Amino acid sequence: MKLHWRPSPRAEGRGAVGRKAARPAVVSAAALALFLLGAGLQYSLAVWLGAYTTLSRDAVNGISFAMEGVWFLLAGFVLSFLGRGYRPLENLIASAVFGAVTFFVLRALKPPSFSYDRFFASTGELVVWSLAAAAASWLLAMWGASFGMLIGANGHVDPRVRYEWGIARTHLRLNRHSALLLALLGVLPPGLFYALGIAASFRDPHQRPLVHPLHILFMVAVVLASLTVIGKWIQHRAQIARLQPGQRRKRPATVVMTGISVAGVAVGVWALTVVLSVMSGFESDLKRKILGTNSHALLLKYSADFSEWRSVIPKVAAVPGVAGVSPFILNEVILSHGQTVTGAELKGIDPATAGAVSELPRQVIAGELGWLSKPQDIPGTDRVVEPRGEAAKQLGGPEYEQYLEDTLKRRQAHPEESQKLDPEALRNLPGICIGKEMSHQLRAWVGDVVNVLTPLGEMTPTGPVPRSRPFRVACILYSGMYEYDSKFVYIGIPEAQRFFKMGENIVGLELKFADVDAARALGRRVVAALGGFPYRTKDWAELNRNLFSALKLEKLAMAIILTFIVLVACFNILSTLIMLVLEKTKEISILKSMGARDASVMKIFVVEGLTIGAIGTAMGLLLGLASCSFIEKFGLQLDPDVYYISNLPVNVDGAQFVMVAAISLALSYLATLYPATKASRLSPVDGLREE
Amino acid sequence: MAPLVEAREVHKSYWLGEKEIHVLRGASFSLAAGEMASLVGPSGVGKSTFLHVIGTLDPPTRGSVLFDDRDAFAMTEEELAAFRNRSIGFVFQFHYLLPEFTALQNTSMPGLINRQPREQAEAQAKEMLEIVGLEHRLEHKPGELSGGEQQRVALARALVLKPRLLLADEPTGNLDEATGEGIHQLLVELNQRLGIAAIVVTHNPRLAERMPRRLRLTEGMVVEV
Ligand SMILES: Nc1ncnc2c1ncn2[C@@H]1O[C@H](COP(=O)(O)OP(=O)(O)O)[C@@H](O)[C@H]1O
Ligand SMILES: [Mg+2]
Repeated sequence: MKLHWRPSPRAEGRGAVGRKAARPAVVSAAALALFLLGAGLQYSLAVWLGAYTTLSRDAVNGISFAMEGVWFLLAGFVLSFLGRGYRPLENLIASAVFGAVTFFVLRALKPPSFSYDRFFASTGELVVWSLAAAAASWLLAMWGASFGMLIGANGHVDPRVRYEWGIARTHLRLNRHSALLLALLGVLPPGLFYALGIAASFRDPHQRPLVHPLHILFMVAVVLASLTVIGKWIQHRAQIARLQPGQRRKRPATVVMTGISVAGVAVGVWALTVVLSVMSGFESDLKRKILGTNSHALLLKYSADFSEWRSVIPKVAAVPGVAGVSPFILNEVILSHGQTVTGAELKGIDPATAGAVSELPRQVIAGELGWLSKPQDIPGTDRVVEPRGEAAKQLGGPEYEQYLEDTLKRRQAHPEESQKLDPEALRNLPGICIGKEMSHQLRAWVGDVVNVLTPLGEMTPTGPVPRSRPFRVACILYSGMYEYDSKFVYIGIPEAQRFFKMGENIVGLELKFADVDAARALGRRVVAALGGFPYRTKDWAELNRNLFSALKLEKLAMAIILTFIVLVACFNILSTLIMLVLEKTKEISILKSMGARDASVMKIFVVEGLTIGAIGTAMGLLLGLASCSFIEKFGLQLDPDVYYISNLPVNVDGAQFVMVAAISLALSYLATLYPATKASRLSPVDGLREE
Repeated sequence: MAPLVEAREVHKSYWLGEKEIHVLRGASFSLAAGEMASLVGPSGVGKSTFLHVIGTLDPPTRGSVLFDDRDAFAMTEEELAAFRNRSIGFVFQFHYLLPEFTALQNTSMPGLINRQPREQAEAQAKEMLEIVGLEHRLEHKPGELSGGEQQRVALARALVLKPRLLLADEPTGNLDEATGEGIHQLLVELNQRLGIAAIVVTHNPRLAERMPRRLRLTEGMVVEV
């Protein structure tokens, strides 16, 4: 038998043998080079994606910065092999220099400000960014280095975790018995939620239930009861085991702490997934409503003369990706009916093609959009046009019936409203479509005559005099957005041109694309097809920027707050692992005396923490999915006056769930690093003294 | 021929605050391959410390430990670990078996640490458990074994990879007379059968007498008796 030797060139201390550790200056220089390369990569990737793909700016930033993050992780990984260790100091020096370089490069590049993207970022902002770049590069490099340490960066590479996993399992008391229990605990509550949701979906859909606190209390009671039963059962089993000598094993505090850590991660992930799903439900609901009324983009012109629009339409329609084109005119007006007056946005549309760019024809709840161009068909005031369609049914109920009844009564009480004009002139009045909220406000229904007043009237020697014209209500629209239903009114293009004295001009074209999210890039394509200036486009995100950026900020804030729950849960993992390391000092020593490597000991505890994180994450994801399905099926009611949306919306986005899982696992991994590194550095004799 | 292991002027001190506890004060000795020696001395004299230094678990404050004429503490952590795994076996006063694993799994551990396939590690472990007379206790966990049996499993675990040096620190310290006798018998037997060199620390003068070579630790130095 031969001793396993490797020749040692250096006699003093615990020096490196074989592969030498690089000198500090070399490590720092290599780190800096890799960091700078990563930043360059991010910049060029962002430029390239911006120029050659139809991705949105957020997507471009997200992808390029994610790539940079991965690059930094890899850099740390490579550096750990080069330096045979974490080398935190050398990395810190490189990060500091990298931060300084970032500052000067950013100052030269003049990037847009974070808060006002029309302005250049201030020096203070650049300093913050540079500090962030330095901190991020250091953290990511250390993180990457930890992977290197795990698979043996300071010796020979060995990614296997066979016996380490076996030992980790005994630390967590993870055997067939406890695995079964965990599976039960993980599946039962979500299953209950899911079943409740299914049961709820069988109810009469018209009879919408209000969630009663008692229901929730009942559900919590059921969950608690089932948990208690399971607990009792386990206790019973343990009792049986205790009766047999030799089977007796005490349950150390770390087992309880492990359970608490799992539960903590589960709750964090649960909250994160549910809240993000609800927020993204609100977002997609808003998006759906905005895009229902508005097109994906507007084609405008840097000039008041847009008389050639009839020849532009076919050119635009021929651009690949364009799904619909329709002309429009937009102006502010004042509407009056009887004594009531309100401001409005008057939009001239082409009823024939409006459906190709928006949901307008499907928003009609009374009357016909087509009556805009055929006002003779609008029924007179002697009868009330009944509301129709799904939307009308939703509006239904005694309140609305009452409104219709009142309308009829009002007309009978004030016949003079419509009798001011002779019947023939009345029939030839142009049609106008108004929103449901405006119909309420003006107390005007299909067939009523409303007056439209434009401030841009005739020029007289004493200044402009407003001009007004009567219109007859042709239809009532319901979009679901209070803003739109109370502000927008629609007339035909020819009427609008005549009313605003525009001749053959229009304001612009409304466009609809095959892919909403590529609106910006496709808009650029359309402008290019028309030869550029004086044409330009504005996409829906630009037109509603404030709304969506507020929503995005809210979602981000929510995500950050809730990530703190997961973070706290990961501190549980951290303390559990520290307790475990203390509890297992003897075992670590004995493993080391048997020849376990430092990296192996580290692996044991990393695997443990990751297992806790993974079980908790899986439970949380299941709970989140079940809760979302429950919310969706059960239909939690919202106060309609506040939200203008009847049920709590949820949008289960797979990518979002994957993201939450990744964050939770990454944080769990981070939480293991300190205890695992501590454990790996214990001296073999530390645990051999006591007893 | 070079000795298997040689200690040259080994010093080891511990510091309790400002106070230096000078445990080993220039201990020197050497052991040839296959040789067996007992080490005696009063409690607290530094026998365990000496074994830990010899076994590369704890670096000396001064002096050197050589295996086959090569300085053990010049190796990196990784190399030391691999060296301990293949070339040194430890038995302690307490068995230090992993409580959740069976005798067979405990004995396979050094093989698994050496990244042997499980079948191979278990086959070796079974073989070694047979040698120590525990072929009928393979699936028992430490809690289901007697003190003597536990120590035999620990011995099997120390020897499963057939190291060249066995370091036993009071292996019979916790056992009754008769059982301790049996363990000693086994140690001597294994030394002869497998040719593994061994240093056995013991408090039992009768057992120490029976060793071919007897050492005593006094005042931080190793002397032949
Ligand atoms: N980690 C330590 N810190 C301080 N003193 C220690 C440490 N380990 C051992 N000692 C001291 O070293 C001396 C020798 O201990 P040890 O080698 O265990 O003796 P023995 O095994 O001969 O009973 C004792 O006095 C003990 O207190
Ligand atoms: Mg001792």
